[in-house]
Amino acid sequence: MEALQKFLSGRIWLRDFTPFPQEEIENAIDAGFIAVQKGITEDLKCARCLEQSTEKIVSYNCAKCEAECFYCRHCIRMGRVSSCTDLITWKDPLSLTPHSHSFTWNGELTNLQQLASDELSESLRKNRSHLVYAVCGAGKTELLFPPLHKALSEGKRICIAAPRTDVVLELSPRLKAVFPDTTIHTLYGGSALEEGFAQLVLATTHQLYRFSQAFDLVVVDEADAFPYSYDPALARAVIKSLKADSPIIYVSATPSRKLLKAIPNQSKIFRRFHGHALPVPEYRSLWNYRKSFNANKIPEKLAGWVKLRLEKNEPFMLFFPTIEMIRQAEPLFKWIDNGIEAVHSKDEDRKEKVMKLRNGEIRGVLTSTILERGVTIENIQVGVVGADEEVFSASALIQMAGRAGRSSAFPNGEVIFFHNGISRQMDKARDLIISYNREGRR
Amino acid sequence: MNCYLCDSQLDLKPSWRDLFFMDPEETICITCRSGFERNGSGCRICGLAGAELCSECSYWETTEFRGAIDSGKCLYIYNQAMKEYFHQFKFLQDVVLAEVFADELAKAVRKAGAVAVPIPMNGEKLRRRTFSQVDSMLDAGKVGYIHLLQKNEEVQGEKTKEERMATRGLFMLKGNPVPKNIVLVDDMYTTGTTLRLAAKLLKESGAETVSFIALIRA
Repeated sequence: MEALQKFLSGRIWLRDFTPFPQEEIENAIDAGFIAVQKGITEDLKCARCLEQSTEKIVSYNCAKCEAECFYCRHCIRMGRVSSCTDLITWKDPLSLTPHSHSFTWNGELTNLQQLASDELSESLRKNRSHLVYAVCGAGKTELLFPPLHKALSEGKRICIAAPRTDVVLELSPRLKAVFPDTTIHTLYGGSALEEGFAQLVLATTHQLYRFSQAFDLVVVDEADAFPYSYDPALARAVIKSLKADSPIIYVSATPSRKLLKAIPNQSKIFRRFHGHALPVPEYRSLWNYRKSFNANKIPEKLAGWVKLRLEKNEPFMLFFPTIEMIRQAEPLFKWIDNGIEAVHSKDEDRKEKVMKLRNGEIRGVLTSTILERGVTIENIQVGVVGADEEVFSASALIQMAGRAGRSSAFPNGEVIFFHNGISRQMDKARDLIISYNREGRR
Repeated sequence: MNCYLCDSQLDLKPSWRDLFFMDPEETICITCRSGFERNGSGCRICGLAGAELCSECSYWETTEFRGAIDSGKCLYIYNQAMKEYFHQFKFLQDVVLAEVFADELAKAVRKAGAVAVPIPMNGEKLRRRTFSQVDSMLDAGKVGYIHLLQKNEEVQGEKTKEERMATRGLFMLKGNPVPKNIVLVDDMYTTGTTLRLAAKLLKESGAETVSFIALIRA
């Protein structure tokens, strides 16, 4: 029963798909520990992800309940929620008493980081939400450590939510190293079951659907467009996962105007931790690059840039607007050097390839926006092919440019926007980077 | 409306045609649609692309199942896109995906010009899955069908090919009269055992021709 309580505390879970025997679940329901609710509510809303559009909550003739049944298409990948499936929650979630947590971090914060960290602690003391607006490579994660340590010691349950699995996987070992005695769970689509009750949960934003009134604090990492132009269901998921009146920390290098307006408590860091300016993107025209790839040719300027990287032995990331174009380009680049690999969202070896790029086994990657953030590779050089394409928003371009020059040993990476005409988003990205550099110098 | 598979917005270009014809409504986008690969023509019995009679069917024709199936057609091959689609449809139980191939399946069934008989699921399994893939596709395609067969409580998927081929008595008749010309409908043709067992029973019970339509050739 204890294991079940630890598992289910703060969670909302499909009754038929827990890692516990049905009998144990039934006993806990009979004993009044577990609350049961219908997967789809009376007013046709998914009780797990709170979706209620008629496009996503659809009906069919169900052979199990022999009647019209509704199910949610929005969160179907986490196991289908329907009118005739039950969701269960633990009625009285475990509460933690304040106790000390080991904190093995001996890094030092820059003055700007320290200031932001203090401001953040102050907001949390007053139970207010806070926005950390900091450029790529400012050291956002480190400045969270002291406030997180304080919150953990106060017995608070915390979730750090990031939009992508890659980001979660990069954060996980760092947090485990800093808080070695804290139970930390890492959750993403396909992650293995971890035992016990985690006081610190690291999860992709989607995994928050599976929590309800669980956390005293949620950190939304990479919260750029959050919570408006982003998937609104994810914004609802954050609120649902929080206990009443608990604060949210938003962390972003490119917050939306609405987020800037909505969260009055802000800390800004427009300077990288190593004190150097952000690399400013350079525009380079690449006329009719699509045509060129269609004719199985790498545009000359692009080939030249890549060859120069290889010659200088610099790792590089080349971003493409579509997976199709990556597939088209991959064999062409392999012909230049076999150590160039393609990495895209559907790639199962994504993790390994990024590791190989980091330790020099791969010389460069052709990739999509999937690697635009969360990835740190020393001395990386960045090219964006078709920077003018619609998929590349200003914030995506800023993130991609933000991969370069992150280490103090190599603070000046190259960032080239290869384009077929200059888009507004390119200008916006470049202007913002220039303005951050100006502000950061003060 | 958004694509059922990738959730991108479907292009709705208003056209004169829309005003005058009731074309079937698209459920998935062009990109997703282009990921599926149609099965070419080939084996006269199972429809496998290639030879006029595939090696598997020529083996079957030496067994007691000789002539059980007169002809058959599989609409698509089981490529990556189809695997993903089928997983979402069958195992994630995304019932609306029945609509994606419903019209094509319906067209093929109608063209067969015989009474459509779906391969059934056993009762326990049907309740667990909450829907039958085949019936839901036929319903979405608005084709009439009758259930002549009922399945015994064994599960094919967990058996080896030899065990499957040795299976006897997988189906029973439900008792309604057996028409002369039948087209069996199934979601997937794998070894052909299921369809042959059904066809043989129907022929022994008075059917003169039995053909089949399957969505996928695995």
